[in-house]
Amino acid sequence: MEQIDLCGADLGKTYQVVGMDLPRAAQMRLIALGLTEGTQLEVLNKKRGGAVIFHVRGTRLAVGKKIAEKISIRKIS
Amino acid sequence: MVLYMKEEKELKVGFVGNPNCGKTTLFNAYTGAKLKVANWPGVTVEKKEGAMKYHNHHFKLVDLPGIYSLTSYTMEEKLTRKFILDSEVDVIVDVADASALERNLYLTLQLIELGKPVVLALNMMDIVKERGMEIDLHRLPEMLGVPCIPVSARKRTGLQILVHTVAHHKEKRKAILEHQHPEGRESRHRHDHHAEYAMVYDDTIEDKIDEIADRLKERGFECQNYRWYALKLLEQDEEIIERVGMDFSDLIDRSYEADIINEKYDFIEEIIEECLVNKQAKAALTDKADRLFTHRYLGLPVFLSIMAAVFFLTFFVGDWLKGFFETFLEWFSEGAETLLLTAGVHKMLVSLMIDGIIAGVGGILTFLPNIFILFLALAFLEDSGYMSRVAYVMDGLMGKLGLSGRAFIPMVLGFGCSVPAVMASRALENPADRRRTIFVTPFMSCSAKLPVYVLFSEMFFGKFAILAAFSMYLLGLIIGILTAFLLKGKEEVTNPLLIELPEYKSPNARTIAIYVWEKVKDYLAKAGTTIFIASIIVWFALNFGPSGFTVDMQESFGAVFGKALAPVLATAGLGLWQIALALLSGLAAKEVVVSSFSVLFGIANISSASGMSELSNVLADYGFGAANAYALMVFVLLYTPCVAAVGVIKRELKSARWTAAMIVYQLFIAWLMSTAVYQIARIFLR
Repeated sequence: MEQIDLCGADLGKTYQVVGMDLPRAAQMRLIALGLTEGTQLEVLNKKRGGAVIFHVRGTRLAVGKKIAEKISIRKIS
Repeated sequence: MVLYMKEEKELKVGFVGNPNCGKTTLFNAYTGAKLKVANWPGVTVEKKEGAMKYHNHHFKLVDLPGIYSLTSYTMEEKLTRKFILDSEVDVIVDVADASALERNLYLTLQLIELGKPVVLALNMMDIVKERGMEIDLHRLPEMLGVPCIPVSARKRTGLQILVHTVAHHKEKRKAILEHQHPEGRESRHRHDHHAEYAMVYDDTIEDKIDEIADRLKERGFECQNYRWYALKLLEQDEEIIERVGMDFSDLIDRSYEADIINEKYDFIEEIIEECLVNKQAKAALTDKADRLFTHRYLGLPVFLSIMAAVFFLTFFVGDWLKGFFETFLEWFSEGAETLLLTAGVHKMLVSLMIDGIIAGVGGILTFLPNIFILFLALAFLEDSGYMSRVAYVMDGLMGKLGLSGRAFIPMVLGFGCSVPAVMASRALENPADRRRTIFVTPFMSCSAKLPVYVLFSEMFFGKFAILAAFSMYLLGLIIGILTAFLLKGKEEVTNPLLIELPEYKSPNARTIAIYVWEKVKDYLAKAGTTIFIASIIVWFALNFGPSGFTVDMQESFGAVFGKALAPVLATAGLGLWQIALALLSGLAAKEVVVSSFSVLFGIANISSASGMSELSNVLADYGFGAANAYALMVFVLLYTPCVAAVGVIKRELKSARWTAAMIVYQLFIAWLMSTAVYQIARIFLR
């Protein structure tokens, strides 16, 4: 399956995290929130500006474009 | 009967947990404190201590800001970690939002690894039940090795049992741990750590932990918990590497941080699998509501409509209630004057009481209904869970200013009061972002500016009063946004948005009541102190002059000061010495602008219809009309906030120079905008 970044994800679809390339502090915070490699996430909402809301490990997170475009994901369903 | 004194030892208990998990609600429930709680992450920005007694135990409770992990990447995490490691907390109460157990357990595992006694408080059990989920409270403590107590801080259930457990858990007992590897993942551990530790890593990591711990001991490094230090060294935690100061390059070939985290989450998945029943029973309601509130096009209009609704409620309903207060004030003021005069009190003293104190303080008290409704509405917004959504909705716009949507939360809070709003900016990690947010916040129309708008818009704009007042809120937002833009450096957004969106909750009556009552109390206290004293000072400034007591205000000290300042304000149509003096006194608190007008023009009941027509007649004699009134409102909106806000700003900026720069900037903007507005308005309103 092809790899995309979170900005290009479709609403309501489930993806698997493939990797992240963020400044260390932001990356560690995301990981602490459960966004580890291989985790599944469901895209709940997104905006033209690039901000995305997704569901991961029982939590809803909103991230800005600068973060979303650095999270690579792979489609599951 | 034998009487004996049991030694009463103080137990120090730290409340640690994820942001927005209800630590402060729990802390309030125990200590009777009324610290602010709301439903968005990052409300608590400062460590708070409180005390309570239970049987023979004295407890010192510490409420800490919410954290997601115990790394050294953020200030709060570093502080919390240091606090637990160094200050000898006897017991950690790990407060977890049981309705989001999976994410909360990550911190739990790290806290357990610290080696201090931990009690897991499973908070929000009422919500767990509501959603039809169940937690296996027998299996969970077996897997974690710590007591797990179901509580609901909001509903105040389970609180007694939790303290009881804390009191009995102060000496860490040997944990009863039972671990069964899931089928198909047979254990091939060389170590049998499962009886000792909840979190056991794979053999490579466990081997390294043992070797590092041994070496730490050999070389005489002293600490309570070698395993934890070994883990942190494996994670290549900078702070710990420095603290330990030994070379481990032969053992630690790379950072094992990712492995350690992944294994923790693997274990959490096991726990969830075994302990959480019905986890799919989700509240679909939040998702449905979010379809509207975070809609890509409608999100912003919805937010603006909500703010407009708050505003109209404040003005219309507030004004209706205000009428009753005015009637009472009128009756009280007249009664007091008759009483004092018949009792033969000196005329000067009567004047101080009636024209100074009752006119000043009483006039401000009549605005209480407006303040009450404003804060009631804000309390609903904050407690519902909507604030995080606002951060998301505003992220695009704020991004253009080089800020994350998170920076918009302090701005919304600024509609209530600048002091907590400025404090809330701490949730922004980057100091430059924080500074810019602090610069912007005072331009929001805080509740203290409200009386000025109500009074002057109703006096001069008749049926357009509400529009005139509403325009102040928009103007404040616009100036704030322009300011953020002006201060924008060349760099891109350095701290992009990253915020948790909590489930929507029906607002809790108790939380709302505490929130609103605290604000109302503050307002009453302000009327009784700052405004009271300011009214007296203004009265003295008006009745005494270089030549002593004077009947002619023109000869008073107040007039002397005012006349010195007035020429500067003349370009904005505010060149009267009385106005200059009122604005000057408004630095004590913005409401004082209104109370000073009462005292200055000797109007007993300024916000009533008769008081208003009296004042507008007096002002009309000076040629003060609608254009001047609008310029005055603009000036009050934009000029330097009250001393309390300036104090907090200075503390948060940690710089007298930046604070001074801000004051100069605000005065300049206020003068510039009010002058511009006045000059333009004069063309149309004449």
